Amino acid sequence: MIKKLLLSALSITAILSLTACNKLDVVGDQSIKSFDAVVNILGDQVTEDTEFGGWSLASPDGGARFLWSEDYSKTTSNDVQLVVKAQPFIDAGLDVTKLPEGVLVGEDLILGTELGKDALTYSGDATPLSSYEQIVKLYRDNISYHAALDHYGVKLSNGNMFEWAKDMTTNDKDIVFVLNPDIFINAGVDTSKVEGWVFAQVETMDDNGKKITVDKFLKPFELDGQSAEK
Amino acid sequence: MSKETIRISGMTCAACAQRVQKAVGKIDGVINASVNFATEKLSVEFDEAAVNIPVIKDAVEQAGYGVIEDSKFNQVTIPIGGMTCAACSQRVEKAIEKLEGVSKVSVNLATEKATVEYDSQVIRLSAIKQCIEKTGYQALELDKNTVDEDKIRKEKEIKTLWTKFIVASVFGLPLLYFAMVPMVSWWPFPIPKALNPMVFPLRFALLQISLVIPIIVAGYKFYTIGFKALIQRSPNMDSLVAIGTSAAILYSIFNTYQIISGNFGAVEGLYYETAGVIIALILLGKSLEAVSKGKTSEAIKKLMGLAPKTAIVIEDGKEIEVPIDEVEIGNVILVKPGDKIPVDGVVLEGTTSVDEAMLTGESMPVDKKTGDKVFAASINKNGMIKFKATKVGSDTALAQIIKLVEDAQGSKAPIAQMADIVSGYFVPIVCSIALLAFLAWLIAGEPLAFAVTIFISVLVIACPCALGLATPTAIMVGTGKGAENGILIKGGEALETTHKINTIVFDKTGTITEGKPEVTDIVPVEGVQSRRLLQIAASGEKGSEHPLGEAIVRGAEKESLEILKVEQFEAIPGHGIEVVIEGIKVLIGNKKLMDDRQISLESLRETSDRLAGEGKTPMYIAMDGNISGIIAVADVVKESSAKAIKKLQEMGIEVAMITGDNRKTAEAIAKQVGIDRVLAEVLPQDKSNEVKKLQGEGKKVCMVGDGINDAPALVQADIGIAIGSGTDVAMESADIVLMRSDLMDVPTAIKLSKSTIRNIKQNLFWAFGYNVAGIPIAAGILHLFGGPLLNPIFAAAAMAFSSVSVVSNALRLKRFKAYK
Repeated sequence: MIKKLLLSALSITAILSLTACNKLDVVGDQSIKSFDAVVNILGDQVTEDTEFGGWSLASPDGGARFLWSEDYSKTTSNDVQLVVKAQPFIDAGLDVTKLPEGVLVGEDLILGTELGKDALTYSGDATPLSSYEQIVKLYRDNISYHAALDHYGVKLSNGNMFEWAKDMTTNDKDIVFVLNPDIFINAGVDTSKVEGWVFAQVETMDDNGKKITVDKFLKPFELDGQSAEK
Repeated sequence: MSKETIRISGMTCAACAQRVQKAVGKIDGVINASVNFATEKLSVEFDEAAVNIPVIKDAVEQAGYGVIEDSKFNQVTIPIGGMTCAACSQRVEKAIEKLEGVSKVSVNLATEKATVEYDSQVIRLSAIKQCIEKTGYQALELDKNTVDEDKIRKEKEIKTLWTKFIVASVFGLPLLYFAMVPMVSWWPFPIPKALNPMVFPLRFALLQISLVIPIIVAGYKFYTIGFKALIQRSPNMDSLVAIGTSAAILYSIFNTYQIISGNFGAVEGLYYETAGVIIALILLGKSLEAVSKGKTSEAIKKLMGLAPKTAIVIEDGKEIEVPIDEVEIGNVILVKPGDKIPVDGVVLEGTTSVDEAMLTGESMPVDKKTGDKVFAASINKNGMIKFKATKVGSDTALAQIIKLVEDAQGSKAPIAQMADIVSGYFVPIVCSIALLAFLAWLIAGEPLAFAVTIFISVLVIACPCALGLATPTAIMVGTGKGAENGILIKGGEALETTHKINTIVFDKTGTITEGKPEVTDIVPVEGVQSRRLLQIAASGEKGSEHPLGEAIVRGAEKESLEILKVEQFEAIPGHGIEVVIEGIKVLIGNKKLMDDRQISLESLRETSDRLAGEGKTPMYIAMDGNISGIIAVADVVKESSAKAIKKLQEMGIEVAMITGDNRKTAEAIAKQVGIDRVLAEVLPQDKSNEVKKLQGEGKKVCMVGDGINDAPALVQADIGIAIGSGTDVAMESADIVLMRSDLMDVPTAIKLSKSTIRNIKQNLFWAFGYNVAGIPIAAGILHLFGGPLLNPIFAAAAMAFSSVSVVSNALRLKRFKAYK
């Protein structure tokens, strides 16, 4: 019995050591490859946004953008954010005065979060992918896997996300801009009338690790892309 | 032909018992092999010329189970006085070591004790003590704590099971927590972010693996035994658990590999917690079962604990306290008031009253005087007595009772055979159902995870261990309860048959009556003196063991009559005796004897009828071919007879009385106790025929008797009940022995049988119910109609508690109350 206990103790120690090891971050690692595939296929739609201080990934219809910082010490408000056109929501009944402060900027709605104040350094020039790698490296909790859609995603807080397919060859939603509809519903939006956005119930997992079903505004795109898996 | 009982280890369910039974049963020379799962004992009857015990033990081990060897060596710890240094202890050790029969000795100077392992067949403890004394040290009194090996083994088993369960729980609870939290939205506690399955699925999987490993280690026996049984094509309960949990683990490992390969959705196909919690729950069930099983044999443990550990032997006028094992036949033993009588014997000196309740259930102390028998474990209440040991060790009444109860508890009722047959086929059938259900759901288009869940649930819920425990546990408690009430039931079959009895035949003398008749009337013919008639009759009956003869002898002794020398003696069974006294040919016996010898009874017909009508037995005495008179003898009806017979009639049982007495006497007694059907003037050899006739009428007959002449009828009857005050032959022939002479124990025995059989049926119902209802649900039949799917964890819980509920139900029998 002592031998068996010893053996199991060793096994547990080995497994727990492995568990603590970052190399086991299969989601983080794989998400980088998938993100790279998305960036590549979008080509010119991924640009540097000097005003923001990072990178911008625009939707094919131009109605939404995902922005991520190149250096968190330089971005002033959000380090990751979605910028979407306000008009479709206004047309659906949005009372902009009821939006939280700072969401409406000009004709856009900006929803995002600050990750930190880190001054990021790169081995070479910063690229869209290397800046994404910094998120994985430093703020891994903000990267998730969404089993129901087989997507990776960057959490932008308050239920807003940018998601992309793990494998674009098998997925009909290669990139998805995800908004928490609560603030819009509270501001008078008729969820069925927002042009360019799908209002749907989505099964996901909350920060406490519990499966939940939530309402979302989705703006999905199929990019006819290729697999990120090698 | 030889019969042996071998203790088996490693059996976990009825299928295991079946397997051992089959393995031993097919050895050439084995006539009968029966395994009792509850007592974990194999009873084997074999031809010594063809096979021996080592071969049988080998077969048990080949089947994958262990044989618990009963050591022939005793181990004893003797405190030693006078040792001052290591040299002393060395000296003592060497001295003891040299003794023949000593296999191991260790003397500890610090504790001043010698631990000696010795063969009691070769050397006695006293010889070892003498050796210590000769070496120059004092062998002090032994520690009173004797070791109950079996108890220690059971306690160790329970402790090990609990430890394993605790290990499984400690790791199983967090495992269940991590696995279930994502599913249970109302549960307020979160999973740490670093283990969120959607963020860190591989960490989540590896953590589960690390938690399930110790659980598998705790339950490794399920795998070693289960797969071994499976390989030998004889799957048992462990096989089901092993296959079910292995399926869960292998499927989870596959999904872990999928996660590593980038298929993170496979995190939802992890079932480590299913395997872990199943093992934990089954270990819990096994632990509770072991505790409950221990309680079923409490009665026998109580009996075993009754015997005192030491006795005061008088040697050369000195009182020496010796261990009970050292008391020999012929030793004179002193018993002080309040002490227990150590062995069986005959009182030599002193008077006292003895509480024999632990043996007979009789609460009133029994007076003892010189010449009376005393029994081991009974309590000497007030006087001091000296008695001569007549039976020691395994020959004492207590040891015999313990053996009888042990044998009964180890035996199987016919109803158990059915359960055994079912459980023998059960596991392979369940494996097939599980596989079929798995394939059916896959073909129906359900995902692999769904089919695996079904497969695991079916295997886990269908364990037949409750089935295997249903009958033996009830029989153990039932027979134990009987023993507590002075009713010794010799086996499961007797216990089962008793509840079917619808006719009871009571022997009259000694059973319905006290069996100590007294002379009530002496009616000589003209020309013969009463005293002379009694003297002749008593002289003839002097050597008789018949109660009527003994009554006449006692009658003569009361009158201080001289017993004459008998010149010739011939017993005529069922009729009387023929003797020659002082040259006179004397016939003493019943009417039949006189009729056979054509002796006219005309002159005494009226007197005879009157006496018989009064319930008295007329004994005719003829001298030299002429009737000389009647000596009437009457027996007193036992206080409880009428009440017991009324109770039996209330139970719907027809009661009859059988006797060799004349019809009138018999009917008079029958009337007193309320019996309608009287079988009178039946010769001893015909008693069994009368029983057979009743059986021919389609009745299930129970015969209650006490004498040698009742033995054939006791054997012929479906159930023979011998009264404890009766002869050894009657007790050996009977299926049930009543330690007291109280006839109320007859309805109590029937009530006990009914209660036990009812309990067995309830147990079987529950055991089958769990499986019959559980298997279709586990196979997903409710799901077919839109209902829920049985989670394998709940299947494991149901299975674990099925055994516990069956054993608990059997323990309810402990509340059985005897008729008073």
